Amino acid sequence: MSIFTLKQVRKTFTQGEASEEILKGISLSLKEGEVTALVGASGSGKSTLLTIAAGLQPASNGQIQFDGKNLSVMNAEQVRKIRAKEFGFVFQFAHLVPFLTVEEQLMLMLDVSESTLTKQAQKRKVTEMLEFVEMSHRKKAYPASLSGGEKQRVAIARALIHQPKVLFADEPTASLDSKKSKDVMKLIRDLTKDLNLTTLMVTHDEEMLAYVDQIVKMSDGTLVV
Amino acid sequence: MKMAWKEMKKNKARFLILGSIVFLISFLTFIISGLANGLSQDNAALIKDLPDGQFYLNEDADQNYTFSRIDKVIQTDILKNHQDAVAFSIQMGFLHDESEKQQSVSFVTATDSEWFPKVKKGEIILDRSLEDEGITIGDHLTNPQFSGHLTVKGFVDQKKFSHAPVAFINKEDFQEMYRVYEMQLVFLPEAESSQEFTSLESFSNSEFLNTIPSYKAEQMSLNMIVWFLVVISGLLFAIFFYMMNVQKLGLYGILKAIGMKTSSLFNMMWTQMVVITTIALTLATALSQIFNVLAPNGMPFHLTLDTTIFLSVVFLLIGFIGATVSGIQIKKVQPLQAIQQGEM
Repeated sequence: MSIFTLKQVRKTFTQGEASEEILKGISLSLKEGEVTALVGASGSGKSTLLTIAAGLQPASNGQIQFDGKNLSVMNAEQVRKIRAKEFGFVFQFAHLVPFLTVEEQLMLMLDVSESTLTKQAQKRKVTEMLEFVEMSHRKKAYPASLSGGEKQRVAIARALIHQPKVLFADEPTASLDSKKSKDVMKLIRDLTKDLNLTTLMVTHDEEMLAYVDQIVKMSDGTLVV
Repeated sequence: MKMAWKEMKKNKARFLILGSIVFLISFLTFIISGLANGLSQDNAALIKDLPDGQFYLNEDADQNYTFSRIDKVIQTDILKNHQDAVAFSIQMGFLHDESEKQQSVSFVTATDSEWFPKVKKGEIILDRSLEDEGITIGDHLTNPQFSGHLTVKGFVDQKKFSHAPVAFINKEDFQEMYRVYEMQLVFLPEAESSQEFTSLESFSNSEFLNTIPSYKAEQMSLNMIVWFLVVISGLLFAIFFYMMNVQKLGLYGILKAIGMKTSSLFNMMWTQMVVITTIALTLATALSQIFNVLAPNGMPFHLTLDTTIFLSVVFLLIGFIGATVSGIQIKKVQPLQAIQQGEM
């Protein structure tokens, strides 16, 4: 079943009198329980498409339908609420909060998503999630003492602790070596299946495509069939 | 709130530096304010210790008490109709103690009232600072313009005028010294400004203080320093928080991307500002109050807890404004920029 649909999405950047169309009418459906990978050369528009889908920047035209709601007509506060409660994010770099421990990173995300769970239940949930990503032994560690792979595992746990419906991952393995990249991709795939997530991912690495269900190729702002 | 505290715990050195600067500036401000108040007391404790009311000078005195002469008929009339009213005169002069050492004093004479000590002819009551100069009760003091001698009958605390200790003397002795037979001023406690008398000009306590030569200029200079320091501290807050915010823009962007409200980020900054400032101000207040007690007797230092609390509130307000102005960047930061910036 598809809960996320892009219809004729266009994005034009204007600087002075010059304007450039980065996305030229993209239509795409994402299915629950599947990982969709956006691939293509640099400048093809895949990262722009992902950030528009994630509500991090507006489209110039078109519709972004999520769970029956049209994100493109919502105001910034409404989009923020959806980002906080329904979306999870994994970036190229882990972008963890440097002064919070691993478990505090996850507790913060529960706060941001305005979780209605009791503190006890939140702590239990954090413990379970850290066990899931095999990071419970480092729950008191600060980001500075974690390896790149460990940071990315914590970032994935943070992205999913509040049980989002959609996971956006922008080159999640770009800063990792080959073995760690495979571990992280396997984790994303397993979580997508287990939690019935809808995952949209941007990647350059063709090796990682072995872990995805749908591959969408982009070139010059359009989808290549 | 929790996040603000956790950041402060993790980055102790950074916040300790900011707190130390706030402490030093606020402590310096309190000390200068104490000196300003001390000098003000040294200049006019005699007047400042009087209750709120109205001072009356002769209309022709050009708002200067030294030129004022209250007509005897008017003075008698006021004193008759107002029981609390007092007429008094002040003149700068000298006293010679028994070892011929010269002491500069402000001679004051007044009609009977509860505000000024009663002094008989040939007697003198002095400010206690002269006790430290070796003058004791029973000493005989002389003045070149006075034929006899004045016997010290006692000392009073904190009676200064124009940076000189006050010497209360009898009206007749004052008249012999200065050949002036009218009083210079009339003071009516609790009187309102609407209470006017023919040929007299009225002044509130603060207005009268400003007619004392040098008082206004001295206080203006010191108060300017105090307020300048307050403004500098506001700027420092703005600069420090600006620098900290610039370093954290990436973090703010990521937090916004994952859905954190901008207001939560502002709350985090405000919490840090309030915690740092409150700790720094509490320390500065405690130390300045200790200094108030331990300051050497000769140092004109007077700092009330009320003044310190008032300045502390101003510091908090100005810190809040400074931090908030610098926080505009938080509002401006775009999540996308932060994501594209790379690792924080």
